[in-house]
Amino acid sequence: MILIQLVLIAGFLILLIKFLLDPNSSQIRAWKKLIGLLFVPLAIIFVLFPNEANTVAHTVGVGRGADLLLYVLTLAFIFVCINLYMKSKQDQRRITELTRKLAILEAKISYKKSGK
Amino acid sequence: MPKRTLSPKSAAISGKTYVIIPLYNKGGAIRAVLKDLAKDFDHIICINDGSTDDSAEQANQRKIIVIEHAFNLGQGAALQTGIDFALQDPEAQYFITFDADGQHDKKDALKMLAYIQAHPVDIVLGSRFLGTAKNSSTFKRLFLKVAITFTNKTTGLKLTDTHNGLRVFNRKVAEQLKLTMPDFAHASEIVQRIADMKFIYKELPVTIHYTDYSKAHGQSVFNSVNIVFDVLLNKVSGK
Repeated sequence: MILIQLVLIAGFLILLIKFLLDPNSSQIRAWKKLIGLLFVPLAIIFVLFPNEANTVAHTVGVGRGADLLLYVLTLAFIFVCINLYMKSKQDQRRITELTRKLAILEAKISYKKSGK
Repeated sequence: MPKRTLSPKSAAISGKTYVIIPLYNKGGAIRAVLKDLAKDFDHIICINDGSTDDSAEQANQRKIIVIEHAFNLGQGAALQTGIDFALQDPEAQYFITFDADGQHDKKDALKMLAYIQAHPVDIVLGSRFLGTAKNSSTFKRLFLKVAITFTNKTTGLKLTDTHNGLRVFNRKVAEQLKLTMPDFAHASEIVQRIADMKFIYKELPVTIHYTDYSKAHGQSVFNSVNIVFDVLLNKVSGK
């Protein structure tokens, strides 16, 4: 086994353990968990048998396994970005709602006091 | 009993009216705007939207209710805060939105208020293209025309000015407006709401005073790209 394979496999295993031990995992959607759990064994298989990646690439019409990896990675990256963007918009909406409520409450209290 | 002549004030304000002013870094203009409005209106709400200048001090005047956002949320959010606060008064009948930078004319607000009280409309919108714009640059006019065309196309309404901060509406509109777009895209959102809720609307000509102050502190044209993006995104996500 060459060094890079050891590093990659160790990395994926750490990821898997972190994922499984995450105390908030009950909040993660089931399909996301499944993808995560499928991802690690699949990644390890491709690390151990890099030629298999080439075979998969050929069957979908891509020259090399590394190229296929890049394409899939690009897609995943964009997907994650959009996901994070939506999430951040949602958080922003919630913070806005909270801040507005707080402002109204504060004003209500202070103007009741002064009887304005 | 001596015959009382109606002052312009009591003639105009027959229903309880709240003036709602979103305030963000307009410390140089807000004092005069509020002083002028306070002569005719008894209920003025100023929402200080996390200003970093002396806006809060300048707004702190007699009769003015100042609501403080902990940090800047955007004009749409500030308007909604003001509306929510005013709606807590069960007697509140009419609501006026007014810009803090002194670009609007109080006479126009009174005229629009008189109109909504005398006619069966839900909302009266100010239009600078029906009226006169003083010292407006052609570039700004062109930019606004594009914004108006865009908003009309997405809502199916026919308005001459969609991004005008001067509006007068009744309680029904105030209760159903529910602005969700925090920033300047709320202008399009209000028009969208008018279309969706089938509010009866009327545009009246208003004068816009493009002072040096309002020009220096106005909406950046580049920001319109953000607005268009957000409006389209909201369309796609079905809101």
